Amino acid sequence: MALLGENGAGKSTLLKIMSGDQSADDGEMLLNGAPVHFGSPYAAISAGISVIYQERQLMSQMSVMENLFPGALPKNKLGLFNKHKLYTDALEIINKFGLPIDPAEKAGRLNVAHQQMIEIMKAYRRGADIIAFDEPTAPLTDAEITILFDIIRELRADGKVVIYVSHRLSEIFQVTDDIVVMKDGKLVATLKTNETDEGELIKAMVGRDIGDTYAGLNRNTQYGDVLLDVKNLRTPYVHDVSFQARRGEVIGLAGLVGAGRTEVARALFGADPVTDGEITFDGKVVKFKTPRDAINAGIALCPEDRKEQGLILGRTIKDNVVMPVVDKIANYKFMNNRRVNELADTAVEKYSIKTPSIDKIVGELSGGNQQKVILGRWTSEEIDTKLLILDEPTKGIDVGTKAEIYQMVCDFARQGIAVIFISSELTEVINVADRIIVMHNGHVTGQIDRADATEENVLAMAMLD
Amino acid sequence: MSNKKDFYGRYVKPVVSHKVFTLVCLLVGLCIVFSVWASSVGNRFLAASTFKNILASIILSSFLTIGAGCLLISGNIDLSQSAVGAFGGMVLAAAISETGWGLPWYMGIVISLILCAGFGALNALLIDKFRFPAFIGTLAMSYMAQGLMRMFSAMGSDDGLAKNIAYQKPEVIKWLGTGQVGSIPSGVIIMLIFFIVYGVIIARTTFGKKVSLMGGNREAAKLAGINSRAITYILFINSAVMGGVAGVFNTSRLGQGQLLALQTNQFTGITAAILGGISFGGGAGGMGGAFVGLLILNTFQIGMNSVKMNPFWINVFTGILLLVALSIDFLTQVSSSRITARRRRTANA
Repeated sequence: MALLGENGAGKSTLLKIMSGDQSADDGEMLLNGAPVHFGSPYAAISAGISVIYQERQLMSQMSVMENLFPGALPKNKLGLFNKHKLYTDALEIINKFGLPIDPAEKAGRLNVAHQQMIEIMKAYRRGADIIAFDEPTAPLTDAEITILFDIIRELRADGKVVIYVSHRLSEIFQVTDDIVVMKDGKLVATLKTNETDEGELIKAMVGRDIGDTYAGLNRNTQYGDVLLDVKNLRTPYVHDVSFQARRGEVIGLAGLVGAGRTEVARALFGADPVTDGEITFDGKVVKFKTPRDAINAGIALCPEDRKEQGLILGRTIKDNVVMPVVDKIANYKFMNNRRVNELADTAVEKYSIKTPSIDKIVGELSGGNQQKVILGRWTSEEIDTKLLILDEPTKGIDVGTKAEIYQMVCDFARQGIAVIFISSELTEVINVADRIIVMHNGHVTGQIDRADATEENVLAMAMLD
Repeated sequence: MSNKKDFYGRYVKPVVSHKVFTLVCLLVGLCIVFSVWASSVGNRFLAASTFKNILASIILSSFLTIGAGCLLISGNIDLSQSAVGAFGGMVLAAAISETGWGLPWYMGIVISLILCAGFGALNALLIDKFRFPAFIGTLAMSYMAQGLMRMFSAMGSDDGLAKNIAYQKPEVIKWLGTGQVGSIPSGVIIMLIFFIVYGVIIARTTFGKKVSLMGGNREAAKLAGINSRAITYILFINSAVMGGVAGVFNTSRLGQGQLLALQTNQFTGITAAILGGISFGGGAGGMGGAFVGLLILNTFQIGMNSVKMNPFWINVFTGILLLVALSIDFLTQVSSSRITARRRRTANA
């Protein structure tokens, strides 16, 4: 069964109530016909409900096998835990999932996708009757998604209930039988998967027909001169990457998780050291030592992890907006609070950020509005952004806001800004970008214009060895 | 009617909802409790001399608090501060005593503070460049500072053993340690000036803003163009120099470089800063709060003395006070985050 809805529709809250993490204010929940109430996550797990959240909850200092068997470690005759049995048991599960993971490896050293798979294996191991997945595929590569879907189908065949929360409509059609759509905390539609289509679902989710998101984009068609020329860029994670970006052009960086796209962005931005290669930006050969240098030259980065790298969650909207320009707008080293308020007001207005005030704490905003705060930061009138790097700007953002962000990207291009658009969602990257650069394992494996790009040929380049 | 509401909204509410207001209330409450309690054991607590005592007693800790507070706001911690301060105090004594180098007083102070700054720079190097956790890097540094302090102290002695270094006090040093302006100790005035200057820097300047943004999320601040490296160096050096200033005051007051200097103050700076609402994880708080936090800490200790409490118990109760203050801070944070969560849920629904 799929649970569908925009961000803030109440899907995660519903899952949290189901798993005993939060308690319901009213109403009752029936399990096998009997009313149940879970006071703690442990109670829900014992009753056979496992929820796999968006945020991974692994013990990163512990090994994979210990993570798979928390609270159920096998013991030997002396009552000490039996490491050998633990290893073989863990390996058995891992092999069932067909993953190249060593059970003795520390969980924190695995990549994000494998960490996610550990969570899934943990729920599978517990033999839960009801398994709920909250956006499980967000960090996964296509190959891993295929494995996950096989597992889900197997669980379904075993008579288990699988609840699948996702923003990606195509996945829902692949693995579910029923679809429940939520909006504003209420159930708005219950549908049979084989009797509906994407259009109907989007309509139910947003309450309006957004039509074909990509066809409606007002794109830029006039490119300027070459703004960025990267030649043989090397860092510890990036090998020999070369590409160019013109003013007003949207460059898509496609590739699987770990292909080195984020690392290219960070190197361009002066956040990671460049070991070799030449970057020409705005007519000058540049070597940025810090992000500050890159910002001064006119490069802006919206990082991959909005909450950890992009924003200071505990601070206000205005603090987050003015971060790069506090010195520029200062009155003799003192804060210019009047100007701060002006800039924050402009950002809120320009991107219609939903907030009662610019003094609102950013952590309390929804994901889409948080992303708009970062965009507001880099496009204020005090900053002259020539190259905007967006790393996974639509991650965890609902369909309606995604469409808004796509249009914003095109608007930036129309203003003459070169945009580097990094995304793991293939559909998105090949439809938004004017030109797609595909990466694999730190190398560029191909370039293709939007007109020629299909999910198949881009994926083929992304998986090339 | 609406004017009245405006008055409340503009002047009353911001004051009442400010963290420092709670702290001031706590301070006033402590004073009331102790004045009642003290009179019941036949002592006077509410007297000008008591407050003068309290102010005079916080001079040394105040510099430590300023250094530690700024660093905590930026999300770092310095455990070596008081050891470096003791080292600085000893260097001053060795520099100006006849048995040592016999330098003029100003050279002594300059050399002492420069060496302290060196320790601060080393701390920053360990933490910024070599990625040591601040807790461990500065702990190691505090042992080194203690060892070097003892080496300096052994310099003037005949038998090569570490001992306090005595010296003839020049006028200026005497003024720093025991002088008065009117009836106010000179140290109190210097301390207040420091608090005001640092308070303005933290609350009003772009540098202060960047310090607290960095404390809020170091990585995000760096990616938004805030030079966290420079800030880390400045604040660690500042912390060590503030320790040095405390050491200089201690040496000036006692007329000798003391082996046990600042030992009882080892954690006062950090304690007062946290008591004053500077969050341990960084990103929140200011100098006003830290100052009141320090006042609370010492009012409590002097109050305990005035009610003739066994001095051993005073430390026990100081610990309890810190726990209570932190729980209040934690509870208000939890309740406000609960309110936010509820608001968010209703907003989403």
